[in-house]
Order: sequence, then structure tokens, then C-alpha cells
Amino acid sequence: MMRNILLIAAREFRQIARTKSFWLTLLILPITFALTPLITRVIKPDFHQTVMLIDHSSTGAGKAIMQRFDFEQRRAELSAIAAFAADNKLDAGHAGWSHKLDWYPDPLVAQYIAEGGAAPALKAIRAQAPKAAQGFSLPQPNYEFVPTPAAVSELPIAALDKALAPYLHPSRESGRKAVDYVLAIPADFGAQPTVRLWSNGQPRADFMAMLQAPLTHMLRAGFLASNGVAQPVAEAADQLQPAIAITRPKEVGGREKLLVQSILPVAMTYILLMSLIMSGQWMLQSTIEERSSKLIEAVLACASPDEFMRGKLLGTIAIGLVMIATWVACGLFAAFATHGVIADFIRPALEPLQSPGSIAAILYFFLTGYLMVALIFLVIGAMSDSMQDAQGFLVPVMLVLMFPVIVLMQVIISGSNSIFVEVLTWIPLFTPFAVLARLGTGIPTVEIVGSGAVLLVFIALEFVMLGRVFRASLLSGGRPSLKTIGQLMRRA
Amino acid sequence: MDALEVKGVVKRFGDFTAVNELSFSVKSGEVFGFLGGNGAGKTTTLRMALDILRPDAGSISVLGKEPGRGHAAEIGFLPEERGLYRAMTAFDTIAYFGQLKGMGTGDARREGLALLDRFGLGAQARTRVDRLSKGMAQKVQLATALVNKPRLLILDEPFSGLDPLNQGLLEDEILGAARAGATVIFSTHVMQHAERLCQRLLLLARGEKRFEGTQDEARATLPLRLTLTARNSPAKLPGVIAAEARGTPTEGWQDWDVKLEPGRSAGDLLEHCTGQGFALRGFEQHRASLHDIFVHIVGAPEEPK
Repeated sequence: MMRNILLIAAREFRQIARTKSFWLTLLILPITFALTPLITRVIKPDFHQTVMLIDHSSTGAGKAIMQRFDFEQRRAELSAIAAFAADNKLDAGHAGWSHKLDWYPDPLVAQYIAEGGAAPALKAIRAQAPKAAQGFSLPQPNYEFVPTPAAVSELPIAALDKALAPYLHPSRESGRKAVDYVLAIPADFGAQPTVRLWSNGQPRADFMAMLQAPLTHMLRAGFLASNGVAQPVAEAADQLQPAIAITRPKEVGGREKLLVQSILPVAMTYILLMSLIMSGQWMLQSTIEERSSKLIEAVLACASPDEFMRGKLLGTIAIGLVMIATWVACGLFAAFATHGVIADFIRPALEPLQSPGSIAAILYFFLTGYLMVALIFLVIGAMSDSMQDAQGFLVPVMLVLMFPVIVLMQVIISGSNSIFVEVLTWIPLFTPFAVLARLGTGIPTVEIVGSGAVLLVFIALEFVMLGRVFRASLLSGGRPSLKTIGQLMRRA
Repeated sequence: MDALEVKGVVKRFGDFTAVNELSFSVKSGEVFGFLGGNGAGKTTTLRMALDILRPDAGSISVLGKEPGRGHAAEIGFLPEERGLYRAMTAFDTIAYFGQLKGMGTGDARREGLALLDRFGLGAQARTRVDRLSKGMAQKVQLATALVNKPRLLILDEPFSGLDPLNQGLLEDEILGAARAGATVIFSTHVMQHAERLCQRLLLLARGEKRFEGTQDEARATLPLRLTLTARNSPAKLPGVIAAEARGTPTEGWQDWDVKLEPGRSAGDLLEHCTGQGFALRGFEQHRASLHDIFVHIVGAPEEPK
């Protein structure tokens, strides 16, 4: 008996594995993983903008602005270096980049600059993690100060509107790149607060903030000095700013962490749903082929209907598991053997799924989920002479199956553990999806065991009742009505 | 031992009785014909012998045992409605069915190749079924039934849909299997094939047995027909139940179509004529065809599809 089941399963497996759609489905995830870093590199939004500075004042405002932009760039460098060091568990000693923080206050950035900036940090990184360091690069500056042509810098500000037009919106023939911003500081800046800014688009908020800080500083300093405040006092007053201590709870409760922990379980739910639909479709097609081309009678002379049914189920489950195993292997490879966007995304998401209990639950609900839905597809195939026939059964089944599962995934991602999710957990048709999706955010063991047991009983009932429909439909012609299907289910 | 023994079998589908109190037996080594029109119960009976269907009453014995897949290794079956896996090669298809019948992988492959060579398809062994011609696919279907060298070959309407070349091939295979000692049971409603091949027959109508026996025994159920050329009417001769003049007499000699009572022999009539001085210039005995027998016993068969 087992021999026939295995023979039928192997034939089913080979037939599906020979189809182009199987290979396309199988390879879609590895290809996505391979292409994502390339695509993100190619289509990465260009944040780089150019700034032309015209300083007619004698206050050193232009120089102060350039220094501020440079300071912010160092802050970005420090943040990237510290994050890389923390992810790779590097020892930074007492350097400024020894702690991964959400925000680096000015004194820490000043310390980093005083310690030599990126050069010593990069040297330490390369010494401690030479391989990982190959994939690390410093963030590129978002703003670049371009030289101001003499013809422009010598013009009075009132004449700049016309003169700057070719720089802000150069003609195609000129072959020149547009300048994003032109900032003109008039000679009397300080006595009056106005500076002029030309932009070829909406100015970015961070650009405006970086621009405003040094100019505000100069205006305040000038104002305090003109009101008799000594310069050191005025300087000190300007440095006063709140030290905002940012705290993020390490464990449960953080929205971001909850999202990260939910992503992989929800992805597993999606993978289960997709692989089920795909392999179910393949099995459906092969069963319809066997029925419509009158193959079944010859097979049934050698193998019983039960052997035939189990063999086909086994073949389909094997196909599904190969797909899932391939995808999981790709995911693990991407997480632990590569560095980049995908690895950064998967590694923290794997955290809640590493316990033996979680792994056992994942395997159990994947397998039972497959068995439960594959049986439905198989019986639909056995009742249909064509794909058109099958659509009549398939469309309502897919709607019933997919709609709640898609809603469930949305609910889990939104961080809500509503009554809807709990109810769905106990409806066998949705149990595998609900349990898998909830693994990240936490589901009581008693619910896992209980709903798993209910699911098992449901599958046993499916085997008995749908098995009857399957056996009765194999050699009969035409599509049975719902009433007939009901009668067949009850008939022993 | 009987290869197949059916005793009082009944099979109903809802209110419709497909097979009713059917009993017959097929001896080992014989070629047995299952004759009947569409809906006579041939396919249902064969499916019950193969355990694809279960009877509602009665019993069936196949090769001395109850029907079941345990016999698969000894049985070859060619269903009426035949199909093949379109994406499989001819060779893989035959090997697959061989394995399903309990053959080892190596044996199934060897025998599959040998059959393909024998059927002139050696060059197409690795060709996908959907790229074979219809005639080639028919040969592959036949090979799936023969791959395990069955002791019992069950063929359901095997000639339907076959081109003339493949009909000849199938007849040769049936005779070859019988020569090798296999029992062959085939259903048909084409009488010519049965007439050429069958040693014994079962005639079915509406699920019931109408006749079981040899072709000669079947003929004996019909009145014997003769053509006599005589000067006088043979109507009064002993055993004659009808005599009809045919055509116009030539120099006083008239052709007569004569029917004898069932069981009367042509030799007895000839002896009587000779002894009694009944002048005869011609005496021709007509052998009844299976078609005539079928029409006599069952009624007109339907035309083959």
C-alpha cells in the first residue's frame, strides 16, 4: 500500500516539478533577495543636493553655515559607525562611537571630531571585522557647496533674480546640472535679519534647520552685544539648549519592536497561503487531467482510491515543503551569511521564532495547514472535468479562505490582538494562519495546543467526508451539485 | 481453476440496475468474449472484477481470490476510456504502470523498452505522450496493460477507436498472450473481432446473461439455413420448417432457401434425400455469423461508435 502511495506521490511531484510555473514560484524569493540590494542601490532616492553660497557680509555668516553643514555630516557618520559597531559587537573602547544612540548630542559629535573623525574609527573597524567592514561605507553628504562663479558673486543681490535663472533651471543645451539652492547673505546682515534663498524646488526641512541655526546664533549674539551683554556671556547664553534624553524600552511594548517581531510570522502566514494556493492549483490541474483524460480507471485497477488520494496529497505536500524549505534556506542565508538591507531586516525578526517550541509549532501548523487545504483542492479536482468546472467551486473556497487571512495579517501588523484574531484561531480553516501570524506577538501555549488538536480532528473528519466525495467522484461524469456533495459526504 | 468466476452478482446505481443476478465463469487460458450493446453491463462487471466497483450482491472470484489490488501484479487492464499523462514520456508511462503493478523499477523499465521496440516505438521511447500521434499513443496504452506479462488480461472495448493497423496489432497481442497461457477477457460490441478471437462467449443484455458457451453452441441455438437446388419443393422433407423459392427455375431446377428445426443436422437431411430419391443438383449449408447469433439472442446490436 505504502509503495503505491509513494509511487503516486513521486509521479505527482515530478509532474509539478517539471512545470515552468513551479520554478518561477520557487525562485521568486531567492531572486528577490539577490536583486533587492542591487535595486535599492540603483533606485535609491538621490538625497544629494547642491548649494551655492554668496556672502556679501563681513560677519563670517557664510563660513558658519558651511561649518554647521559639516558638523551635521559628522553627526550622521558617527551614528552610522556606532550602529555598525553595535551590530557587529565591536570594541570601541572609550571612543565617541562606543555607544549606539538614537540621537548624538553636539558634545558627543564634538568629541568624535576631536578624536579624528571617521579615520581612526574605520581603522578600528577594519582591524576587528575585516570582512564585515568591506560592506560598510560612510553616509554620503546630502549637501554639497559648489563654487560661486565670479560673474554671480560680484552682482548686487537685487540683480541676482535674473542672473541665477540659468543656474537654477539650466537649459538642456547647456549640459549643466541645476543648482538646488542659492543662498545670498547681504552686506548688512546682522543689522537686518533678511537673507535671500533661491531654490529650484521645495526646500527640505533639514536644510532649513541647518541654515537657520548658525544665522540665528549670529543674530542673537549681535543683539545681545548691542544691548550691553558681554560677548562671553552672549556666547554662553546661545549655547544653552535642552539635553533631551531619549529612552526606548528594550523589550515588549515598543511599537517598532512589535512590528519587527510580527513581520516574519505574518510573512510565514503569507508564504503558507501563497504556497498552498500555488501547489493546490497544480494538484487541481493534474487531478482534472487524470479525470478528463480518463486515466483514473487504469490507475484504480492498480491502486485503491485511498492510495491514489494519499499519494497525490503526499506529492503536493512534498512540493509545498520544497518551496517553503527553499525560501526559508534563502532567508536564513540572507540573514546570516550576507550583510545589507535584507540581513538587517531578517535578523531581528527571527528572534521570537528561535525557541524549540516555536519551531515545533511552525512545522506542525505548516504541515496540517497544507493537508487541510490540499484535501479541499484535491476533491475539487476530482469533481471537475475542466478548469472552468473547477472555478465554480474554487472561487468561493478561495474567497472564504483568503479574505479573513488577509484581514488577519493586517490586524497582526497593526499590533492589535483583537477578539477577531482569537476567534479565527479556533476556526480550523484559519487556525494554521492565525497561530503562525500570532507567534511573533505572543500566543498562549494552551491556545496553540488546543487549536492544534481541534485542527487535527477537523482534518480527520475531512479525510472521512471529503474522502467519500473523492472516491464517488473519480469515475462519475459531470459536476455534482452541492446537494449531491452533501449526500456523498454522509454516505458511508 | 477458473480465472474468473461470477456468482449471482447484482449492481445497482440508485434506481438503475446495471447488472442483475449475473453468473458465469472464465476458464484459465481461454479467450473469452463479453458481448453486449451499450448499457448491457459489460464495463460495470469488469470494474467489479477489478475491485473498482463493489457488487451489491453475489460474489466474484479472480484467479481464485476475492477481487482486490493484491492481484494487480497478475492482471493487465485496458479500460474503455483510455488516457495517458500528457507530460510523461512513453517509456516513463509504461514503467510507471509496471511499478504500480508491483514490478521492480529495473524490470518495469526493461519490459517497457522491449514492448516499445516490439510495437515499433523504440525511437519514441523518450518522447512526451502529447507529442505522439494518436496511433502511437494507443500502442503505449496497450503496453501499459501488457507490461507485467499478466496471467489475466482484461480489455474493455479494446478495439474501439483503434485504427486498422492497431486493431491488427491488438488481435496479435491477444492471440500471443493466449498462446503464452494467459486468460484474455474482452468486452466488445463489434462481432467480427469476437468471432475471430473468442473460444467462449457471454452475451449480455440490460445487465442480464442471455447466453454463455462456445460459438458452436451459440450457433446451435439458431435454425440451420441451407440453399438447395431441386426440381421439387423441399418443404415436406423431415426437419424443414420453412422453404422459400428464390429466383426463377432453370430447365426445371429451382433454388430454395431452407430453414431446419433447431438441432437438426444438414447431414441427416442429405442422407434422407439420397435414400428417398429426392433429386438435388445443389446443397449448400450456411454458417451463421456471430452477428446473426447476437441478433437472434439479444436483438440488434448498436452500431459501433
